[in-house]
Amino acid sequence: MRKYLAFSKKAFQRTLTYRFELWMELAINVLFMLIYVYLWKALYTDQTSVEGYDLNGILTYIVISQTLLTFVFTLRIARTIQAKIRGGEVATDLMKPIDFQMMTLATAVGTSIHTLLFNMLPKVVLFYVIFKLSLPPSFITVVLFILSAVLGYVILFSIEFIIGVLAFWLIEIYGIYALVIWGLHMLFSGYFLPLEFYPAFLSKVAEVLPFRAIIYIPTALYSGQLAGRNLVISLLIQLAWAIVLMALGRICYRAAFRKLVVQGG
Amino acid sequence: MPIITVEHLSKNFKVHTRRKGFWGSLGSIVSREHEIIKAVENVNFTLERGELVGYIGANGAGKSTTIKMLTGILVPTSGHVDVMNLTPYLHRKENARRIGVVFGQRTQLWWDLPVIDSFELLKHIYEIPENRYKQNLEFFSELLQLRPFLSTPVRKLSLGQRMRCDLTAALLHDPEILYLDEPTIGLDVVAKEQVRQFLKQINVERQVTAILTTHDLNDVEQVCGRLIIIDKGKIIYDGGIDVLKKQYGKTRMLIVDLAQPYSDIQLEGVNLTRREENRVWLAFDRDTLPASEVIAQLAARYEIQDLTISEPEIEEIVRRIYKFGMSG
Repeated sequence: MRKYLAFSKKAFQRTLTYRFELWMELAINVLFMLIYVYLWKALYTDQTSVEGYDLNGILTYIVISQTLLTFVFTLRIARTIQAKIRGGEVATDLMKPIDFQMMTLATAVGTSIHTLLFNMLPKVVLFYVIFKLSLPPSFITVVLFILSAVLGYVILFSIEFIIGVLAFWLIEIYGIYALVIWGLHMLFSGYFLPLEFYPAFLSKVAEVLPFRAIIYIPTALYSGQLAGRNLVISLLIQLAWAIVLMALGRICYRAAFRKLVVQGG
Repeated sequence: MPIITVEHLSKNFKVHTRRKGFWGSLGSIVSREHEIIKAVENVNFTLERGELVGYIGANGAGKSTTIKMLTGILVPTSGHVDVMNLTPYLHRKENARRIGVVFGQRTQLWWDLPVIDSFELLKHIYEIPENRYKQNLEFFSELLQLRPFLSTPVRKLSLGQRMRCDLTAALLHDPEILYLDEPTIGLDVVAKEQVRQFLKQINVERQVTAILTTHDLNDVEQVCGRLIIIDKGKIIYDGGIDVLKKQYGKTRMLIVDLAQPYSDIQLEGVNLTRREENRVWLAFDRDTLPASEVIAQLAARYEIQDLTISEPEIEEIVRRIYKFGMSG
């Protein structure tokens, strides 16, 4: 366990190297969030409530979901794994007494903690101060939100990990990455608008896919849209996806390594 | 009891051949043809603890494939590998704990972080006890003069400095075996010399068994006592460097700068082994043909500007072996 913590620490440290890039990222994120907020304000001019979201509720949803989306932009796991496979560095990783998936996760967490502290938290605080958003219903909601956001993160990681490992077979994975992350994820994660707003058949599709567990569930939970039985079920769904996708990632990379080891690079 | 035993080791790769052109690649989607490449073929050798062996061969001869099988990241097609009583590909992690690997072409250090951070990370990866880590870091920093740049990011190091750090990185956890894949590639003369001295020293002082692949035969000549030459997947020489030199040492090399690039140079008992513009390398057997005779004949037919006679360098010997086989 300690060796993986060391990976997180080094990854965190490494992120500090490129401060300028991080500030630019933050500036662009904030601009996008501002646009979304004003868009929703305009849409709500003659509305008091849509699908249970009042103006304050929808703005809170947008700010939180946009903030969680930052993980999607900054994770870059699939790309990192692909680069390692193409450059052959993966052989160096294999020659070490470590678990590849755990090492990758630990490294990702280190980078993401940096994103959380220096990008996501300042953004949320800024928007709270400017737009006087609503607070979560209770302290326990905050705790459950954090748990849910962590599970969402693990699910996002697992999906990117699987896509990255596919590079063992496909060499070029940009197509699949674009399809899954920029296509399916963007449509069904609920980052753009709450999934309640979707037409019935689309929300049905969203329900069977893992993507809504990344952004929609934690955000809806935070906004107080999920409560009681619904909340428990949502958390269990997240947990199930996290376990299934982590396991699938393991199966994929074991198969990939077996291919590499049996057939050569 | 050898530390490494390799018996009848073979590795075949299946390579898919794509047909040429548009219709060809379309056809490849439906039916793919492949050919079998024998990267390593029936290789046998053993290494005793503390040996330092040069493993050489032309590009694509099978060096890296052998190393990959020894480190456990490649499964042999047939044959048997035993490293410290382990079968590497079955016990990859256990094997990994006890070996060190250096690739001249790539680094295992974290590009954006100070060198010392990569070392600290390795301390955790290999679970090196704090005391031992400090001792080793001290030892290698001293020996390789790392102190001035320990807190410099790796991307800012020169190649020579980076290689010294990579050597340290591979040795911090006291590996019993060190695999070096072209550790002197791209280094200048001074840096090469430093690496060679270092390898000799740790081999003697720390009893590290090492296999060194290289294209610079000076590495082998200065560092290794034993040489294994692999060619087209097969071992064609395994033995002392002295023995090899003695066997081929009868040959003298006459290096001549001619006044013009003569199209054809023919002298009885003399082999033209190399040619670069006006300079030619002529090999002859000193027992049957005195040097004075060769020079006299040469001068009679061609206009000579300059010449030198040399003992065969190991480089020249190996060049001939690659070209003509062991009998050449």
